[in-house]
Amino acid sequence: MSHRSKSRNIFIGVMFLLPNILGFLAFILVPLVMSFGMSFTDWDVLRHNMFRDEALRFTGLENFVRLFTHPQFWQYLGNTFFMMLGLPFSIAGSLGAALLLTRASKFRYNVKPALFVATVIMVVCGLTLLMGGMPERQVWLFFGMLAAMTLAAGVMTGGTVYRTLFYLPNFTAGVATYVLWKKLYNPNTGPINQALNPALEGFSGWVNSMPALFAYALPFLATVLALVIVGWQLRRLRVARDLSEAGLVAIIAGLLSLLVPLWLCLTWLGMTAIMAVIVAAVCFAALLFWLMNRPQPWGKPKNMDKGLGAEVALALALIPVLLTLGATLVVGPTLPAAASEGIGAPDWLGNYHWAKPAIMFMGLWAAIGSNNMVLYLAGLSNISPELYEAADMDGATSGQRFWFITWPQLAPVTFFISIMSVIHGLQGGFEMARVMTLGGPAGSTTTLSYFIFIEGFETGRLGYASAVAWVLFGLVFGLSIFNFRYGNRHVAD
Amino acid sequence: MKSVFLGITLALVVASSMLYWTAPDRASPIPVLYWITQDDEVKQETIILFKEWLAENNLPPVDVKIDNTNQGLTKKLTQGLAGVGSDILDVYGINIGIFAASGMLMDVTEKAQELGFGPDKTYAALRSDLVYGGKQYGFPRNAAASMVWINQDTFARYGIEEPPHRWTWDEFEELGRKFVAAANPPGTRDRVYFMKPSLSMMSMVELRRGMGLSTFNETMTECHLDDPRTVEVMRRMYRWVVELQLIPTIADQNAMTADTPIAGGATFHLFSTGRYALLNLPRWALIRLRRYGKLPLRVVEPPHTGFPNAQFGCGIIGAYTNTRYPEETAQFMQFLTSDKFNLLIARSGDSLPPVPKYTQSEEFLRPPDHPEEWQAGEVFSRAAPEIGIPICRPPFVLANVYSRIESQVQQSLLAGRLTPEEAAKTLEERINKEIEISINEDAKKRKLHDELKLVQEKIDQLKAANRPIPREWIKNPFYLHYYEAKGLLTEEGAG
Repeated sequence: MSHRSKSRNIFIGVMFLLPNILGFLAFILVPLVMSFGMSFTDWDVLRHNMFRDEALRFTGLENFVRLFTHPQFWQYLGNTFFMMLGLPFSIAGSLGAALLLTRASKFRYNVKPALFVATVIMVVCGLTLLMGGMPERQVWLFFGMLAAMTLAAGVMTGGTVYRTLFYLPNFTAGVATYVLWKKLYNPNTGPINQALNPALEGFSGWVNSMPALFAYALPFLATVLALVIVGWQLRRLRVARDLSEAGLVAIIAGLLSLLVPLWLCLTWLGMTAIMAVIVAAVCFAALLFWLMNRPQPWGKPKNMDKGLGAEVALALALIPVLLTLGATLVVGPTLPAAASEGIGAPDWLGNYHWAKPAIMFMGLWAAIGSNNMVLYLAGLSNISPELYEAADMDGATSGQRFWFITWPQLAPVTFFISIMSVIHGLQGGFEMARVMTLGGPAGSTTTLSYFIFIEGFETGRLGYASAVAWVLFGLVFGLSIFNFRYGNRHVAD
Repeated sequence: MKSVFLGITLALVVASSMLYWTAPDRASPIPVLYWITQDDEVKQETIILFKEWLAENNLPPVDVKIDNTNQGLTKKLTQGLAGVGSDILDVYGINIGIFAASGMLMDVTEKAQELGFGPDKTYAALRSDLVYGGKQYGFPRNAAASMVWINQDTFARYGIEEPPHRWTWDEFEELGRKFVAAANPPGTRDRVYFMKPSLSMMSMVELRRGMGLSTFNETMTECHLDDPRTVEVMRRMYRWVVELQLIPTIADQNAMTADTPIAGGATFHLFSTGRYALLNLPRWALIRLRRYGKLPLRVVEPPHTGFPNAQFGCGIIGAYTNTRYPEETAQFMQFLTSDKFNLLIARSGDSLPPVPKYTQSEEFLRPPDHPEEWQAGEVFSRAAPEIGIPICRPPFVLANVYSRIESQVQQSLLAGRLTPEEAAKTLEERINKEIEISINEDAKKRKLHDELKLVQEKIDQLKAANRPIPREWIKNPFYLHYYEAKGLLTEEGAG
């Protein structure tokens, strides 16, 4: 190729790339650098703009200091992390959905009985809806009909319909989805509460008919279950410690997954925050002493952080479970009194305590059928069938097939999904807060991204908002580094 | 591929050029003013009347186009500060400070004097809404005082007596208790509430003012809400919203709005069907209420706790600093003082006409097609200027910022996260923190703050000695009214 022709080709290539490069420079790189600079200034949109020629003042770390001493910042950071507690469940949900969809295609030969059942459900639901006179049950009928139609379509198409339906949330524009969910969560007319209310009425009646001792049965069961989980986790940590599979930092992370819920539950039970911290700290010190003073026949682990990734991942799943059990323990004894007045479905978005979980549930719905599911589907299709055949020949159960073949083979996909989910989780919450709750009630759904919007565009403090944005970047970066350092991104042999 | 790429580029260039050259202001031979406002019948008629008024006054013709898609505060601000703001902007009370401070509103002080739309043309109480830092930034399109609307049918349905013209918060609570008990027998599914507050949440400002307390001190240098009166107001609020459920929470309001079969204006549908017994809104409510036929309406003053007061504010028309048509936008503001415009406001059921004398017109007091509104017209014309007080606009913290803090603290109180005492303390601390940040960032504000603090010290000394305070020392609109009513003001100079 002549020099002239080569130059010409380079020129054409650059021309093709130019729009993208210009877009990147204009809308990403330059604003990024500017916002970094702005975070060290007192840039206020009201004083520093095209109509006001006031000079910008370099404020050093003032914005950051103010941020870390701003009580609302910690609340909003807490909200952001709270919303992220749903991530392990959304990842597990995506994997579950992908596994189901992979298996769904194998059901196509059982078309006749499934279609028969679906047709019967549809006819009954349809006729009842047509006849009317059962407004309270209409939601159930509607859902029954929808389920039957989905089942029928699924068995006819061998799972293609399911894949499409599961992926639907990803097609829908965010704001439209949030408006829809706002309607679903309506405490009076939303289908969620319309479906829940009759069930809760029945539950109230059932609780009322139970002997008084029942009030303590639920908390008792929750306590037993929590103790079983705590015992299991301690045993795990002990074994990991004995086999030198967990270093000191990993052990601490494992213990925190038990003690953070303990601390919160104690405060829910009425203990002062400081007393709860003291009790949790004493338990922590005692357990750590017990674990660290055990003999280690295999020698000490090479690194103090050995096994940290696994412990953190497990902690993220354990904490919500233990908190749910803790909430049951607290709420249980009040059940009879509540049931006598009639337990109603919650005011999802209007109640301080329910607003965050409500948004988490919605996030879970959106995340299960998202790109994560597609990535898992692709990952599953890449697993060599020979591995399963070998496992079958060895007589492996389906659980063993999943745990020893599927899960390790999906490690790189899970790693990628975890990284992306954490990044999206930290950056998320803006659209939901803006559309559904305006960050309320009482700031309970304000995340860091919404806080940036408020400070930047409602208060006008662009310098301060930039500082928040860069702190958020630091968090994203730090957690991504952590994921890279401790996450399992290699297929186990 | 290269040809496709070039073809697309060319097509985009051609399309962009066509769009640019066919834009209304390019295609029109006369100036086109863009007006960011709600697109409704009153605004459409305003434009028609403006064109007629221009012709009658032998002024060159101008076209006005409504832009109703960019009404949000952040949109207006972002566009304006990016240099592409609309020529005419609707700016509402709470946000005037932010627009004026940013410099994107044109200073019309001289033009107003020249064309006769200065602050003296409107209500004296509203002058602080037009003038910011000694400069005039617009003229009111209307003036709004919140009064209490009564649907007489609703009270008759449950056999409950209607509120009197002037009533106290104790009477409000007593009547409210009776009403919700009668309207919500056991087993009621859709709760009937006693009152729908004016904003998203009941304004605590009116309650505090009723007890002689404002959010800020006399010079507006400091928030002083950590006060037993604030605690009392918080207690009442909690009782009315959570315990007695006389007033819906924000979530209840949203849920009820979603229940209504009509999009927009759900509040009026709920009021007309009796789900709310009372509405706390300005006169513009008539525009919506007229759609429900001839409702038997009555209007009374908002309840008070010793000092009758109502929130009084205005939506101003401001001009964008970078407008290409400063003369024409000024003419539009001048038009707002005309007969044509003021009578349009009076007969359309909008809030009070910007020029006070028109509240005495037949169109305002006794619209011939709506005899059921005559009592309302009479109350608005008399009570609004008498007890209406605008919101505080301290130069050290934006009204939208302190209102947001107040709303958050209210929500925390109602969610049981804060006790009334903690709420009062938190409110004061957070607002004062904002003031501190603001004066630390801006040397001019710091200087002004220091000066006013010295004045405040003198005021405090006079108050302690129970002596009258020079009027010109007081910057807080509430204390001006309050001390005036209590005879605590003196016209003597500051010395």
